[in-house]
Amino acid sequence: MMLGVGKRTLAGLLVGTVALAACKSDDPAAPSNNPPTGVTATSLGATSVHLAWTAAASVTGYILERAEGSTGGSYVEVNRPAATATSYDDTGLNPATVYRYRLAAVRTAGTSPFATEVLVTTSAPAVVNITADITTNTTWTSTSVYKIVGFRKVANNSTLTIEAGTRIIGDFATVGSSLFVLRGSRIIANGTATAPIVFTSAQAEGAQLPGDWGGLIIIGNGIINRSGTVNIEGTGTSTENPLIPYSGGNNNADNSGTLRYVRVEWAGFAPATDAELNSFTFAAVGSGTTLDFLQAVNGFDDAFEFFGGAVDAKHLVSYETGDDHFDMSEGYVGRLQYLIGFQSYIQNNRPGVGGVSSDPQGIENDGCNGSGCDLAFNSTPFTVPVVANFTLVGPGAAGPAGGGFGMVLRRGTAGHYVNGIWARYLNAGIGYRDADTKARETAGILTIRNNLIAQTPLALQAGQQAYDIGANAVILEQATTAASLFTKLPTTVRASPGVAGTTAADFDWSLSAASPARTGGLATFTGDLLTRAGAFVAGTAYRGAADPAAAKWWEGWTYYLRNQL
Amino acid sequence: MDRRFPSVLPALRLVLLPALCSFPAATSLSAQAETGRIVGKVVEAEGGAPLSGARVVVVGTTLATTTKVDGRYALADVPVGSVTVRVAMIGYGSKTVTGVVVTAGGVTTQDVSLAGQTTQLEELTVTARVEQGTVNSALDNQRYSVAIVNAISSEQMSRSPDGDAAAALQRMSGATIQDGKYLNMRGLGDRYTQASLNGARIPSPEPERRVVPLDLFPSSLLSEITTSKTFTPDQAGDFSGGSVDIKTKEFSGTRYFGMSFSAGFNTAITGKEAIFAPATGRDWIAFGSSPRALPNPVAAVDFSTPLTTAQNNELVNSFRNVWSARQRSGSPNGGFGLTLGGNLPVGGTGLSYLISGSYSYTQETRKDEQRAIAQPPGTVGGEVRELDRFDGSTGRSSALWGGIGNFSVNIGAHTKLSLNNTYNRTMDNEGRFEHGTSENLAIPLQIQRLRYVERNIYSSQMKVHQQLTDRHYLDFGLTASGVRRKEPDRSEIVYESSGATPTWYGFSNEAAVRTFANLKESTLEGSASWQFRFGSTPGNRFVQIGALYRATDRDAENHAYSISLARQLSAAEGALQPEQIFDGRFSQGSDNVLRVSPLSAGGSYTGRDRLTAAYGMLTLELSHALELIAGARVERSDVRVASRSTAGEPSLATPSYTDVLPSLALNFRVGENVNLRLSGTQTLSRPEYRELSPILFREVIGGDNVKGNPDLQRALIRNLDLRWEWYPRGGEVVSVGIFAKQFSDPIERIYQGTSGTRIITYVNARGADNYGVELEFRHGLDMLAKGLTPFTLFANATIMKSKIRLDADVGSITNAERKMVGQAPYVFNAGLTWKHPNASASATLLFNRVGERITEAGELPLPDIVERPRNVLDASIAFPVFGALNARMDAKNLLDAPYRLMQGVVIRDGYRSGRVFSIGFSWKQ
Repeated sequence: MMLGVGKRTLAGLLVGTVALAACKSDDPAAPSNNPPTGVTATSLGATSVHLAWTAAASVTGYILERAEGSTGGSYVEVNRPAATATSYDDTGLNPATVYRYRLAAVRTAGTSPFATEVLVTTSAPAVVNITADITTNTTWTSTSVYKIVGFRKVANNSTLTIEAGTRIIGDFATVGSSLFVLRGSRIIANGTATAPIVFTSAQAEGAQLPGDWGGLIIIGNGIINRSGTVNIEGTGTSTENPLIPYSGGNNNADNSGTLRYVRVEWAGFAPATDAELNSFTFAAVGSGTTLDFLQAVNGFDDAFEFFGGAVDAKHLVSYETGDDHFDMSEGYVGRLQYLIGFQSYIQNNRPGVGGVSSDPQGIENDGCNGSGCDLAFNSTPFTVPVVANFTLVGPGAAGPAGGGFGMVLRRGTAGHYVNGIWARYLNAGIGYRDADTKARETAGILTIRNNLIAQTPLALQAGQQAYDIGANAVILEQATTAASLFTKLPTTVRASPGVAGTTAADFDWSLSAASPARTGGLATFTGDLLTRAGAFVAGTAYRGAADPAAAKWWEGWTYYLRNQL
Repeated sequence: MDRRFPSVLPALRLVLLPALCSFPAATSLSAQAETGRIVGKVVEAEGGAPLSGARVVVVGTTLATTTKVDGRYALADVPVGSVTVRVAMIGYGSKTVTGVVVTAGGVTTQDVSLAGQTTQLEELTVTARVEQGTVNSALDNQRYSVAIVNAISSEQMSRSPDGDAAAALQRMSGATIQDGKYLNMRGLGDRYTQASLNGARIPSPEPERRVVPLDLFPSSLLSEITTSKTFTPDQAGDFSGGSVDIKTKEFSGTRYFGMSFSAGFNTAITGKEAIFAPATGRDWIAFGSSPRALPNPVAAVDFSTPLTTAQNNELVNSFRNVWSARQRSGSPNGGFGLTLGGNLPVGGTGLSYLISGSYSYTQETRKDEQRAIAQPPGTVGGEVRELDRFDGSTGRSSALWGGIGNFSVNIGAHTKLSLNNTYNRTMDNEGRFEHGTSENLAIPLQIQRLRYVERNIYSSQMKVHQQLTDRHYLDFGLTASGVRRKEPDRSEIVYESSGATPTWYGFSNEAAVRTFANLKESTLEGSASWQFRFGSTPGNRFVQIGALYRATDRDAENHAYSISLARQLSAAEGALQPEQIFDGRFSQGSDNVLRVSPLSAGGSYTGRDRLTAAYGMLTLELSHALELIAGARVERSDVRVASRSTAGEPSLATPSYTDVLPSLALNFRVGENVNLRLSGTQTLSRPEYRELSPILFREVIGGDNVKGNPDLQRALIRNLDLRWEWYPRGGEVVSVGIFAKQFSDPIERIYQGTSGTRIITYVNARGADNYGVELEFRHGLDMLAKGLTPFTLFANATIMKSKIRLDADVGSITNAERKMVGQAPYVFNAGLTWKHPNASASATLLFNRVGERITEAGELPLPDIVERPRNVLDASIAFPVFGALNARMDAKNLLDAPYRLMQGVVIRDGYRSGRVFSIGFSWKQ
């Protein structure tokens, strides 16, 4: 419902305050029990509507019903106004939403037919500018839109609670505007499938571009494998954007709050060359944090990046991004299940924030890299995530020539990568890079098992480390197309300039009837995988992010617009 | 293009030679009478100060005159032959100089030194030839300066192969030269060294620092380079290691005309295939920046909204389609110089002038070039590992030309007016090709870089020296100077070479980049000082007060653009040469293949500095053996640095610093030729402009992100110096010095780690110490054996230590305690000169070695990056050919030791530059 606010608001202004008389009457043949007349509906604001009517003769009361949307939906009774009433204020509505109301008169003889329905659009929510850091417990409600102006922090051990359906926009004019939840502070953003919480660009729909604003950065008290002070990339670029450190944490069970049904769109601004912000950054975030049903849409850098920490997550969707869909490093030991990543084009980003990445991948995991890696790629704790049930579809020849791997494991990372699908990657399914990474396999903390690689020339990048894909049920099906694996993928991978972007109707991630991914999964975990997966991730007989036997978890709250300029 | 220079040089020779050769004939027309002139200068024997009012008489004639304010005199119509000149002045011992040879129509120079009557009671009679030696000795700056100084004379420079001031300075005790340009004194970074030209501050053409590249000054234009290692209140207070003053040549007294030519070759380039950047037709005169200017469509386009396909194509097509470094045969080096000096008979001593110009063109290379980054050991106690190793080579063509026009005139007996003008211009055109493997991308890459840097510097100075009474002197001057540095159209292009044919790696910020940088700085400086001599006898007893105002304005611009692909190229398309890819075949009409995006510049800023200073200084000769110099200087600097990030975020820093800098020095004359000096001073170091701008800026594409700190404080430095020096004979010295420095809030470059690229920034460290010993020796070898009389040996060595301590809360990822960056544990220079006892033939062998020094602090747990010591041996021979024609042969870098930057066992940067041999001829009249 967050879609198309602009258009609908315009429509509401035109029709909402005027009772329409052009609709058909329910029962014109009953003159003795006429419907009420002069019914009008006026928006009182973002969440309430004022209804008024002409007092009807010999009534004992009225029945007021409401339906959502300009057509369809079902009417529900709102109120039974008294006989003397000639108006009613309906409250608790959604902002910028079209409602239809109808009124009937109740007489002793019976209830009249409903009067012609009236349409009204609630006002767009008020925009609240967030120009200062949040240092006390604060709640953002869905009746307002919150505009993040500048590099704003939730700090001072405070909690920011965001109601379902709330829309947060990153200011475009104040470059790099972004929201940081600092160590010790929390964010409670509990959206729902029907009312997700959306962080998006302040630009008008259609004019949004990757990199319009910064992103959502959460810093916990978890452990990373780099010593010394390490700061969030993209901070420290100006006085207004000081360095934000995330190193030095000591509690991988730390709780930074909850994100459920949250989308982050058009993020990834680069405050300096090669210093981009991600859509979602989880830096040293602990396992006490809840992450479920999150989508990154058209960010300019990585969609989901995990630096150390141990936070678990399920149901993550990355729809088009500038760099990697999923990036884990610096000792991250969390578990991820049900991941979708989709890429079909080379982004055109907000001007002035640099060019596209030289190596975008589906998953890019590093052990340790940068300052304070005291034993280089062997720095501990190792990066050992469990990544299960992923569906990653690359851009194939429509993407950059660089990158083009379903997954790159390098710089001493470990982890278990199981029951997933990599499809339509330009170069190979897996880039298995260096000897230190290979050593993790020998140590039993790195496995790649029961994965399907489709429409991709190679299983493993040539000239790099070897991996026994046969013994691990990693299947390469070069001829199987990505489109054939799923119920629905857009037919045109890359929209031409001017061609309208895709919508949710173009995507159905559930496995097609003939999909080889319906089987071949690792149903029973053992060994280190079992130990690490624990109760959070279980084995499945299928591969990919969609359980053929379960509801489509991505439906209703995910978003697929792409502004191809 | 490269053919152009060699074709022009002969053309110039053809034009210039006849014109110049006709000059002596023209001047000889004035030689009509059987008389000649004697000109010269009368100076104090101790310190070489000019003596005005001295009576100069040609014995046995009525010819007499009085020296002017600059000590100069001129006697006309002196009969030819050998005459005797007597010089006398109240308070000084008189001197009679015999054997002054006057030729018909000629000009004979005879300088004379007079000693105070306390040291010389009787009248002295000496020969003309001997007298010249005592004058030279009197002019020995090092010996008579109130501060601790080291000087290099033009004579020393002429005996070395050092072509510019930077090369000459590396012979100085305690000096090291970085990148062939930047001076570090006593192991302190260039931040603690400042440079002036004829006493006025030189603006800096470097965007990141305020340092002066000393290779801008051809040594043929210089009379002396003096480095003051201790502060006296009459000097600018913002140095600690050394304050360099470069003096351009002044008219010496005789009419002079000289010219020189040289040609040489580099064993690594000349006649061999090497990598070079394509040149434009005007590079050889260092005017190659305009063909490389930022294209108008790029300058005009509004990048705040997405570009259309048509706009992208227009921009792509507007860039100069030059990307590739070319392999070609190197050409020889060459240069020439002209000097014209004279004295126009205007007023008493006339208008003296010296006009000089020089031009040189050289090619250099870095062969066997390699670079890599270092990775910490993967195991406890293991070795640092090499990553991202690239091998290649760099070729550079350089032109350096410039000139001076210096004029001076005495107005009446008490005023000297001089006008000094300098203009120098350089060009470096560099091409680099390298190949290696990127660990990040796990593919082999080929990178080509082209870089053209053009710099020019001008200075125009008017100075007035006025004797108000016989005790009061007034000096004032006005200097306008400016500098400009252009680095237009730097390009970088990356090809991926995993397949049989390299293909353009067109998806990245760094796939194809053009950078345009421009810097302008101008300075206007006015200064005045008043000196009052007191006491009854001549000598150093005076009070000096002075003031200075300096306005500096700087404007630095930096724009970078990346061209990247909007779609994949086919294998055949990708394999095209860069000049084919960008020839328009992919950027016509509705082609949607290439995109142009501006990269965060942030390097643009404006800086201004208004410096006001005043000082008072007392020089007191307490006894013949003890001199006290005490005083203080107050400096106030108001700085304003405005910058703006690419995204438009503005920032402004306006620090203001006011400091009092006391100075106390005691000079003991322990023996006739032995001094002991003690000096205690406080000096400071202010942040450079860029260091105050808080905008993150990518220094070089692929380089580091650098950010300033508007909260930087200036550093205060307490300096203590003690030096014992012995001057056995003129031109000889043996000295031992110790120094200790304590820094409060020294400004240090540190790194901050991020989850992406590291950030370099500047903080005030808690403190630092630096101390060391300096030894200097310059002595004739006749002390060993009579047969070694023609040999002079010189050597200097500085041994030092330093430590800097960073506060933990600055978040630096380097060692919190370490040596200061740039500090070498030792610097050693030695030279042996042979001089023919009678003829002007000489030969010099020079050796230089600098101990291992930190060039960059290491990111923990990596060790610091150090520059390995190199042994550098140069040689020079000069000999007369016939008449006024002299020849010289130079050999540079005879050992061709590799240059190495090491981080543990990893070679971070390394190359060899080849040996350079040259031969030159000079002719003077």
